[in-house]
Amino acid sequence: MASLRQVFEALDQMREDGVIGDFALGGGMAALFYAETTRTYDLDVFAYLPSQRGALLDLHPIYEWAEAHGFAPHAEHLLIHGVPVQLLAANGGLAAEAVAEARTLDYEGHGVRVVAPEFLITLYLIAGGGRRVERVEALIAAGAVNIRRLRALMGKYALASMWQTRWEADDHA
Amino acid sequence: MPDDVDAYEAKRRWHEEQARLPIKEKVRILLELQRQDYELLKRHRTLEWWELPWDIEP
Repeated sequence: MASLRQVFEALDQMREDGVIGDFALGGGMAALFYAETTRTYDLDVFAYLPSQRGALLDLHPIYEWAEAHGFAPHAEHLLIHGVPVQLLAANGGLAAEAVAEARTLDYEGHGVRVVAPEFLITLYLIAGGGRRVERVEALIAAGAVNIRRLRALMGKYALASMWQTRWEADDHA
Repeated sequence: MPDDVDAYEAKRRWHEEQARLPIKEKVRILLELQRQDYELLKRHRTLEWWELPWDIEP
């Protein structure tokens, strides 16, 4: 049976082969590095995608690489060692900034780039949904969030009013 | 009321301890949660392919 470390190694291989550029884990898996476990069913990976040209994204290089390595593409996911991995374009804006500012954290002796908590919260709020709200709460409760940095991001990405209404009113900050 | 306060405090401490667990242990918990969810949900509806538990080790 494969291990999660092998999934991370496969992502590194994708980068070394030039199929993706710099990347960082997002979604629920990223939150695990900072806070208590919350449910997730896929692995969100924010990555620079060299095959993107303007608004058009050519997925063929990614699918060809995946098939050559025995990882089946399935809808918008790649099944890497049995884990559904979703590659999310980080070629600009918040996602690109989140990758650039990601932290390198250890997983079983392997360095993994992980989106920082403040960026995770910003991305969660933009995506919306109850499960993501649960992750925001978990990150705050774990003391993983630099509130000043988060407020700056909220202002930059026009989320300040949502943040103040939902969380600062509850005295989290 | 003191009992309530103690219970909330104990719960808060438990969540803090969960957050401080080693990442490998958190992944083990995640895999266990996926397996538990799968057993419950599959009785009620057809699951999406991506809702299957990950067949990996932490």
